[in-house]
Amino acid sequence: MSDNEAKEPKQLSRRDFVTGLGSLGLGAVLGGVLGSAVLLPDRVLAIPASEGYILVDTKKCIGCDSCMLACSITHHGSASFSQSRIQISQNVFEPYPGDLTIAQCRQCPYPACVEACPTGANHVDTANGNVRTVDASKCIGCERCVSACPFTPSRALWNGAEKHAQKCDLCANTPFWDKKGGPGGKQACVEVCKMHAVTFTSEIPIQSDAGYDVNLRTKDGSAALLLPTGDDGFFSPGQVAAAKAAAAAAAAAAAPKAGH
Amino acid sequence: MGNGYAGKILVVDLTKRTTSTLNTSDYAEYGGGHGIGSAVFFDLCRDKTVKAFDPGNVLTVMTGPLQGTLTPFASGRCEVQGIAPEGFPVEWYSRSGFGGRFSGQLKFAGWDGIAVTGKADKPVWIDIRDQSVAIRDASPSGDGLWGLDTVEVEKKIYELVRKGDTADWTDYGGSRDSGRSTLNPGVLSCGPAGENLCRAASLIHEGGGGAGQGGFGAVFGSKNLKSISVIGTGSVEIADPKALMGARAWAQASWWDIDNLKPGLPGMYTSRPSGAIGANAAENVAGRDNSCLGCYKSCHGGRNSRGLAPNSSCFDSYYNLQSKFGIQGHTSDNAVTTDRLQRLGINAWEGAIAGPWLVALYKKGILGPGKQIDTKIDFSDYGSEAFNKAFLEAIAYRTDIGKVLGEGAARAALAWGRYEEDTTSGLLAICAHGYAHHYDARTEVEWGFGTALDSRDINEHDIALTLYWYTSMAPLFGVPYIMPAKDLVEMIGSTLLPYKDPMMLDYSDTGIYSDAMVKFVSWHRHYNRFWKQSAIFCDWGVTDWINPYTEGYKGLTPEVEPRFFNAVTGQKLTFEEGMTIGKKIWNLDRAINVLQGRDRDGDALDEWQFTTGAPASHTTYEIPYVMPVFENGEWSYKNVWGRMLDHAKFEDWKTRFYEFEGWDTKTGVPTKETLDKLGLEKVAVELAAAKKI
Repeated sequence: MSDNEAKEPKQLSRRDFVTGLGSLGLGAVLGGVLGSAVLLPDRVLAIPASEGYILVDTKKCIGCDSCMLACSITHHGSASFSQSRIQISQNVFEPYPGDLTIAQCRQCPYPACVEACPTGANHVDTANGNVRTVDASKCIGCERCVSACPFTPSRALWNGAEKHAQKCDLCANTPFWDKKGGPGGKQACVEVCKMHAVTFTSEIPIQSDAGYDVNLRTKDGSAALLLPTGDDGFFSPGQVAAAKAAAAAAAAAAAPKAGH
Repeated sequence: MGNGYAGKILVVDLTKRTTSTLNTSDYAEYGGGHGIGSAVFFDLCRDKTVKAFDPGNVLTVMTGPLQGTLTPFASGRCEVQGIAPEGFPVEWYSRSGFGGRFSGQLKFAGWDGIAVTGKADKPVWIDIRDQSVAIRDASPSGDGLWGLDTVEVEKKIYELVRKGDTADWTDYGGSRDSGRSTLNPGVLSCGPAGENLCRAASLIHEGGGGAGQGGFGAVFGSKNLKSISVIGTGSVEIADPKALMGARAWAQASWWDIDNLKPGLPGMYTSRPSGAIGANAAENVAGRDNSCLGCYKSCHGGRNSRGLAPNSSCFDSYYNLQSKFGIQGHTSDNAVTTDRLQRLGINAWEGAIAGPWLVALYKKGILGPGKQIDTKIDFSDYGSEAFNKAFLEAIAYRTDIGKVLGEGAARAALAWGRYEEDTTSGLLAICAHGYAHHYDARTEVEWGFGTALDSRDINEHDIALTLYWYTSMAPLFGVPYIMPAKDLVEMIGSTLLPYKDPMMLDYSDTGIYSDAMVKFVSWHRHYNRFWKQSAIFCDWGVTDWINPYTEGYKGLTPEVEPRFFNAVTGQKLTFEEGMTIGKKIWNLDRAINVLQGRDRDGDALDEWQFTTGAPASHTTYEIPYVMPVFENGEWSYKNVWGRMLDHAKFEDWKTRFYEFEGWDTKTGVPTKETLDKLGLEKVAVELAAAKKI
């Protein structure tokens, strides 16, 4: 799936909604009580789409886990793997690209974590671009959101130190960072990713039960780093030749002139 | 307010099978990493003259405040120190370092470091899960880890620690708040080479992250310790998170952008923007350049679609290239050979130095079946896959020629009666203290003289990357220098705080013996001891002296080091104050070496460096050697290759160095006044008790 293909308008139509129910199985909300839900014309309750999503490309990632540390530091003021709302799991002994997986919150169109929460702590934050997030003050520690997340590992996680559930809020609430976050601002994981393997999009990526995994290896630099520019995990001789030619041309263009 | 430290150091006594803790704050004056490791060693190792394989040897694995904190070049580093079996003729107390993810797991488990004392009565591994520490049975009747290679053992530990669905969160402790992780534990292991007390045995983490120099894998082996595993589900508080994020953005902006690529400079940053050369192991199949924790440089070796030699970088994969390009033209699969080397847990330098030397002895008719040095290994097949398997396994399992060679090339040469002849001719190119020639001591003297004064091949690339690789490769690439020699040494010289003297970078025939070079080698020892080995900024990240991505090519040193250190710790440490801590650690290490018997004569370089200007036998990449020189009142770039050192001039230089450091010029021992001034009074007391001062 290419980057360009992985886009769809953010406003959900009724058809999108029904299609989503069928393919994702994330839990429909029919007659449920959700503060930020809206009624579609035929009185089916829906939830406004998030205005932002984190895209990742596991093949482009260099496995530095900076996104995890940045997530924890900006939200909590402390560095931690387990408090990070994005999880990079690595087994270096598996052949590439199976040596690394990235688990980021998908800001689901139909968020099971929000649905499962009995107190409204896990909610759609309409003040911050409809990001799905947790109001820690309302969390009673039942962990239903953690269990309800359809993905493995669960993107809603338990913070044992602060004793509340939490999930990716696209950095809407990052008290330890001086940047504006949220769907309209910056995201710490994106900002520290030198590879641009973690990026932000305001458009809903096409997704299935298997998840979405876009190709962000779109530039010559990826090829110069010997990253596969195709999704099959290998270079073609043509890719190698093209990458070398592009790198040589760039080097020639950028080479310092005498006396610089 | 947090300060980046976890707060405690774990002490494991393998003899008594007990654990205890030290407060990190009691050692905070040393900063972290190697400095704290040396201070802990000094306190816990009662007799500093014990042998490396004696249970009394104390091995420390240390982090510091920056590890696990998003500080580029530093977050993923660990320092290992103890009495090092690779040292020759004395097993000098020394250090090594490795990168990866172990540091973060250790910190988040609540530990700044681990000190291992004693010796287990049978094979064990240490299983750390946050504050829970268990000494587990590694023997075949227990968890079955002993005898496994470094990859097999790490995979096995993953299974032992992470029961159930490894794609999911793993609970540690069983209660809601006891801690969870989706990650595999950080594991540090010795391979068969360590188990069999090969003096060049490495410690391996994640396949290729390795503490190679020193032979600390064999110290694990001597203690019947196979692995240390740690999973950390907690956190470490940062003093000023906003300042840390700001520093990160600042540093990152001065680096290559993968989607807007600007080439680096010849030699410093190769055809790959990362400068990573782990691609040697990847062999042009699709793969992943890997970074250590929290770093964006991606030079921690490649991972390939064959799953071979993951995270192996630089010299790890150059072992095979010695044979591939150097001697007989064999072209065995580099990834396969590198993978074998790492699995066995052998310091790549040992295979690299021994190979060409033994081939030369084979060609002379000295080595071979039934020869003076008897071996069944077919040296006519040097460089082939079959040879590499036989050769490396012989070293690791101490069979055939490996019975002797497992003692290291220096001791093997001594046993075979060849040390004097072959280290005088240069056939066996040992730089000093039994460690292989690395960068050239005769031309790049801060490396050579620094190694002579230290306990091992110093492996510090500050000058090598900038004033050797770049200055030598630019003309070979046909790329004009970024600036004249005068401007370049002035730019770099301005960072040599507090001296700011560009004459310290004069590598001319007279410059290398000058008082300015005394000052530079002193600066270099102090800088590395603190900023790189105790704050643990990676040697491949700093010094940042020439930066291809900034205006005017000005590097981030000396701002980058204190900026991150202070953001994480909340201190206001200046670069110069860090240098003073480095001087303290340098003197502490020197004192430990003195207690082991170090004197003026021990600060020596092997003889071939005084008798020949020829290339070292096991390297293929050091000609020319273009460096800045100040001659006839002018700076220029000059090829200084072919130079030999002079004994009298070196000895005179040493005298002035000792004087500059505040050491006794006759013995090379730090004076009581020097130690007291540095706050090392108790060290002075121990030296006096040993009649060293």
